[in-house]
Amino acid sequence: MSENNKSVRQPGARENGHLDPLGTNSEIGRKLKQFYDGIVSDTVPDRFADLLSKLEAADSARKKD
Amino acid sequence: MMSDGQQFKQDLLGAIPSLRAFGVSLTQNSDKADDLVQETLVKAWDKQASFQPGTNLKAWLFTILRNEFYSQMRKRGREVQDSDGAMTARLAIHPSQHGSLDLEDFRTALETLPEDQREAIILIGASGFSYEEAAEICDCAVGTIKSRVSRARTRLQEILKVSGEADYGPDAISSHVMGSGAGV
Repeated sequence: MSENNKSVRQPGARENGHLDPLGTNSEIGRKLKQFYDGIVSDTVPDRFADLLSKLEAADSARKKD
Repeated sequence: MMSDGQQFKQDLLGAIPSLRAFGVSLTQNSDKADDLVQETLVKAWDKQASFQPGTNLKAWLFTILRNEFYSQMRKRGREVQDSDGAMTARLAIHPSQHGSLDLEDFRTALETLPEDQREAIILIGASGFSYEEAAEICDCAVGTIKSRVSRARTRLQEILKVSGEADYGPDAISSHVMGSGAGV
Protein backbone atom coordinates (compact mmCIF):
# COMPACT_ATOMS: atom_id res chain seq x y z
CA MET A 1 0.00 0.00 0.00
CA SER A 2 1.58 3.24 -1.08
CA GLU A 3 0.75 6.50 0.61
CA ASN A 4 1.06 8.18 -2.74
CA ASN A 5 -1.21 5.96 -4.70
CA LYS A 6 -2.98 8.56 -6.81
CA SER A 7 -4.95 6.04 -8.77
CA VAL A 8 -7.35 5.40 -5.91
CA ARG A 9 -10.35 7.61 -5.48
CA GLN A 10 -9.59 10.36 -3.03
CA PRO A 11 -11.79 9.82 -0.01
CA GLY A 12 -14.64 12.27 0.07
CA ALA A 13 -13.91 13.42 -3.47
CA ARG A 14 -16.65 15.39 -5.15
CA GLU A 15 -17.43 15.58 -8.83
CA ASN A 16 -16.48 19.27 -8.94
CA GLY A 17 -13.53 18.78 -6.60
CA HIS A 18 -14.01 22.19 -5.01
CA LEU A 19 -16.24 21.51 -2.07
CA ASP A 20 -14.43 18.46 -0.84
CA PRO A 21 -14.37 18.79 2.94
CA LEU A 22 -11.68 16.17 3.53
CA GLY A 23 -9.65 16.13 0.34
CA THR A 24 -5.99 16.78 -0.25
CA ASN A 25 -6.47 20.53 0.08
CA SER A 26 -7.63 20.13 3.63
CA GLU A 27 -5.08 19.94 6.45
CA ILE A 28 -7.51 17.82 8.46
CA GLY A 29 -8.03 15.53 5.46
CA ARG A 30 -4.29 15.14 4.94
CA LYS A 31 -3.59 14.38 8.60
CA LEU A 32 -6.43 11.89 8.69
CA LYS A 33 -4.89 10.00 5.76
CA GLN A 34 -1.41 10.24 7.26
CA PHE A 35 -2.63 8.83 10.59
CA TYR A 36 -4.57 6.00 8.93
CA ASP A 37 -2.06 5.12 6.23
CA GLY A 38 0.66 4.94 8.87
CA ILE A 39 -1.22 2.08 10.52
CA VAL A 40 -2.15 0.45 7.20
CA SER A 41 1.51 0.29 6.23
CA ASP A 42 2.59 -1.24 9.55
CA THR A 43 3.90 -4.79 9.39
CA VAL A 44 1.04 -7.20 9.98
CA PRO A 45 1.77 -9.59 12.86
CA ASP A 46 2.11 -13.26 11.86
CA ARG A 47 -0.68 -14.26 14.22
CA PHE A 48 -3.32 -13.39 11.62
CA ALA A 49 -1.91 -15.53 8.83
CA ASP A 50 -1.42 -18.34 11.37
CA LEU A 51 -5.01 -17.98 12.52
CA LEU A 52 -6.39 -18.15 8.98
CA SER A 53 -4.26 -21.21 8.22
CA LYS A 54 -5.65 -22.93 11.31
CA LEU A 55 -9.22 -22.07 10.33
CA GLU A 56 -8.55 -23.38 6.85
CA ALA A 57 -6.97 -26.58 8.18
CA ALA A 58 -9.89 -27.15 10.56
CA ASP A 59 -12.30 -26.79 7.63
CA SER A 60 -10.51 -29.28 5.41
CA ALA A 61 -10.17 -31.76 8.29
CA ARG A 62 -13.92 -31.53 8.80
CA LYS A 63 -14.58 -32.13 5.11
CA LYS A 64 -12.51 -35.31 5.15
CA ASP A 65 -14.56 -36.80 7.99
CA MET B 1 -7.08 -22.31 -9.75
CA MET B 2 -7.75 -21.46 -6.13
CA SER B 3 -10.71 -22.91 -4.33
CA ASP B 4 -13.32 -20.54 -2.92
CA GLY B 5 -11.89 -21.09 0.54
CA GLN B 6 -8.37 -20.26 -0.59
CA GLN B 7 -9.57 -17.17 -2.41
CA PHE B 8 -11.55 -16.06 0.63
CA LYS B 9 -8.48 -16.54 2.80
CA GLN B 10 -6.38 -14.44 0.41
CA ASP B 11 -9.01 -11.71 0.41
CA LEU B 12 -9.15 -11.70 4.21
CA LEU B 13 -5.36 -11.47 4.39
CA GLY B 14 -5.46 -8.51 2.03
CA ALA B 15 -7.99 -6.69 4.18
CA ILE B 16 -6.06 -7.03 7.45
CA PRO B 17 -4.05 -3.77 7.20
CA SER B 18 -7.24 -1.71 6.73
CA LEU B 19 -9.03 -3.62 9.46
CA ARG B 20 -6.19 -2.88 11.86
CA ALA B 21 -6.30 0.81 11.00
CA PHE B 22 -10.05 0.95 11.56
CA GLY B 23 -9.63 -1.05 14.78
CA VAL B 24 -7.02 1.37 16.12
CA SER B 25 -9.27 4.27 15.18
CA LEU B 26 -12.09 2.77 17.23
CA THR B 27 -10.17 1.43 20.23
CA GLN B 28 -7.27 3.90 20.27
CA ASN B 29 -5.09 1.01 21.33
CA SER B 30 -3.17 -1.30 19.01
CA ASP B 31 -3.38 -4.41 21.23
CA LYS B 32 -7.13 -4.08 21.56
CA ALA B 33 -7.35 -3.38 17.86
CA ASP B 34 -5.49 -6.59 17.04
CA ASP B 35 -7.78 -8.60 19.31
CA LEU B 36 -10.71 -7.05 17.50
CA VAL B 37 -9.22 -7.94 14.12
CA GLN B 38 -8.66 -11.52 15.29
CA GLU B 39 -12.27 -11.80 16.43
CA THR B 40 -13.40 -10.29 13.12
CA LEU B 41 -11.44 -12.85 11.10
CA VAL B 42 -12.90 -15.76 13.08
CA LYS B 43 -16.43 -14.40 12.68
CA ALA B 44 -15.91 -13.70 8.98
CA TRP B 45 -14.61 -17.22 8.45
CA ASP B 46 -17.66 -18.70 10.18
CA LYS B 47 -20.02 -16.46 8.21
CA GLN B 48 -18.22 -17.09 4.93
CA ALA B 49 -21.31 -18.66 3.40
CA SER B 50 -23.32 -15.50 4.05
CA PHE B 51 -20.89 -13.31 2.12
CA GLN B 52 -22.03 -12.68 -1.43
CA PRO B 53 -19.02 -12.89 -3.75
CA GLY B 54 -18.73 -9.79 -5.88
CA THR B 55 -20.06 -7.51 -3.17
CA ASN B 56 -17.82 -5.27 -1.11
CA LEU B 57 -15.79 -7.57 1.15
CA LYS B 58 -14.03 -4.68 2.86
CA ALA B 59 -17.34 -3.05 3.84
CA TRP B 60 -18.64 -6.43 5.03
CA LEU B 61 -15.55 -6.95 7.21
CA PHE B 62 -15.66 -3.40 8.59
CA THR B 63 -19.29 -4.01 9.58
CA ILE B 64 -18.33 -7.18 11.46
CA LEU B 65 -15.44 -5.43 13.20
CA ARG B 66 -17.58 -2.48 14.19
CA ASN B 67 -20.37 -4.70 15.53
CA GLU B 68 -17.82 -6.67 17.52
CA PHE B 69 -16.38 -3.46 18.96
CA TYR B 70 -19.74 -2.17 20.13
CA SER B 71 -20.86 -5.53 21.47
CA GLN B 72 -17.65 -5.80 23.52
CA MET B 73 -18.21 -2.29 24.83
CA ARG B 74 -21.72 -3.19 25.90
CA LYS B 75 -20.53 -6.37 27.58
CA ARG B 76 -17.79 -4.71 29.55
CA GLY B 77 -19.65 -1.57 30.25
CA ARG B 78 -17.89 1.55 29.23
CA GLU B 79 -14.30 1.25 30.30
CA VAL B 80 -12.71 4.03 32.18
CA GLN B 81 -10.90 6.10 29.60
CA ASP B 82 -7.19 5.56 29.85
CA SER B 83 -5.85 8.27 32.10
CA ASP B 84 -3.10 9.36 29.74
CA GLY B 85 -5.57 9.98 26.99
CA ALA B 86 -7.95 11.84 29.26
CA MET B 87 -5.11 13.96 30.55
CA THR B 88 -3.74 14.92 27.17
CA ALA B 89 -7.21 15.67 25.93
CA ARG B 90 -7.51 18.39 28.52
CA LEU B 91 -4.34 20.06 27.38
CA ALA B 92 -4.66 22.70 24.76
CA ILE B 93 -3.04 21.77 21.49
CA HIS B 94 -1.09 24.38 19.65
CA PRO B 95 0.10 24.09 16.09
CA SER B 96 3.82 23.41 15.98
CA GLN B 97 6.29 26.18 15.18
CA HIS B 98 6.58 25.32 11.52
CA GLY B 99 2.88 25.75 11.05
CA SER B 100 1.97 22.23 10.07
CA LEU B 101 0.18 19.92 12.44
CA ASP B 102 2.11 17.35 14.32
CA LEU B 103 0.74 13.84 13.81
CA GLU B 104 0.72 13.14 17.56
CA ASP B 105 -1.35 16.27 18.15
CA PHE B 106 -3.71 15.11 15.47
CA ARG B 107 -4.05 11.66 17.03
CA THR B 108 -4.76 13.24 20.42
CA ALA B 109 -7.40 15.50 18.90
CA LEU B 110 -8.98 12.54 17.12
CA GLU B 111 -9.26 10.71 20.43
CA THR B 112 -11.34 13.50 21.91
CA LEU B 113 -14.09 12.98 19.34
CA PRO B 114 -17.17 10.99 20.31
CA GLU B 115 -17.05 7.48 18.81
CA ASP B 116 -19.81 8.05 16.29
CA GLN B 117 -18.07 11.11 14.88
CA ARG B 118 -14.66 9.50 14.93
CA GLU B 119 -15.75 6.42 13.04
CA ALA B 120 -17.63 8.53 10.49
CA ILE B 121 -14.71 10.81 9.68
CA ILE B 122 -12.34 7.82 9.48
CA LEU B 123 -14.60 5.83 7.14
CA ILE B 124 -15.13 8.80 4.83
CA GLY B 125 -11.84 10.64 5.12
CA ALA B 126 -9.38 7.77 5.40
CA SER B 127 -10.85 4.35 4.59
CA GLY B 128 -12.18 5.55 1.26
CA PHE B 129 -15.81 4.55 1.70
CA SER B 130 -18.65 6.49 0.13
CA TYR B 131 -21.26 8.09 2.38
CA GLU B 132 -23.66 5.32 1.34
CA GLU B 133 -21.20 2.58 2.27
CA ALA B 134 -20.35 4.26 5.58
CA ALA B 135 -24.06 4.56 6.37
CA GLU B 136 -24.47 0.86 5.75
CA ILE B 137 -21.46 -0.05 7.90
CA CYS B 138 -22.75 2.13 10.75
CA ASP B 139 -26.36 1.09 10.22
CA CYS B 140 -27.66 4.64 10.01
CA ALA B 141 -28.92 7.15 7.46
CA VAL B 142 -26.62 8.78 4.90
CA GLY B 143 -27.59 12.20 6.28
CA THR B 144 -26.49 11.11 9.74
CA ILE B 145 -23.04 10.17 8.43
CA LYS B 146 -22.76 13.51 6.64
CA SER B 147 -23.67 15.42 9.74
CA ARG B 148 -21.26 13.40 11.92
CA VAL B 149 -18.40 13.98 9.47
CA SER B 150 -19.15 17.66 9.40
CA ARG B 151 -19.26 17.96 13.18
CA ALA B 152 -16.09 15.90 13.53
CA ARG B 153 -14.26 18.10 11.10
CA THR B 154 -15.43 21.32 12.71
CA ARG B 155 -14.40 20.02 16.10
CA LEU B 156 -10.96 18.93 14.89
CA GLN B 157 -10.45 22.34 13.34
CA GLU B 158 -11.38 24.01 16.61
CA ILE B 159 -9.12 21.81 18.72
CA LEU B 160 -6.21 22.06 16.34
CA LYS B 161 -6.82 25.68 15.46
CA VAL B 162 -6.18 24.86 11.86
CA SER B 163 -5.56 27.86 9.72
CA GLY B 164 -5.18 28.11 5.99
CA GLU B 165 -8.42 26.29 5.23
CA ALA B 166 -10.20 29.46 4.26
CA ASP B 167 -11.14 28.12 0.84
CA TYR B 168 -12.94 25.32 2.57
CA GLY B 169 -13.96 27.22 5.67
CA PRO B 170 -16.58 25.96 8.09
CA ASP B 171 -19.38 27.95 6.46
CA ALA B 172 -18.77 26.61 2.98
CA ILE B 173 -18.45 23.09 4.28
CA SER B 174 -21.43 23.05 6.55
CA SER B 175 -23.65 24.58 3.92
CA HIS B 176 -22.43 22.01 1.45
CA VAL B 177 -22.77 19.05 3.77
CA MET B 178 -25.91 20.22 5.51
CA GLY B 179 -27.44 21.35 2.25
CA SER B 180 -27.86 17.76 1.20
CA GLY B 181 -30.48 16.99 3.77
CA ALA B 182 -28.37 16.17 6.81
CA GLY B 183 -29.77 16.99 10.20
CA VAL B 184 -27.57 18.94 12.56
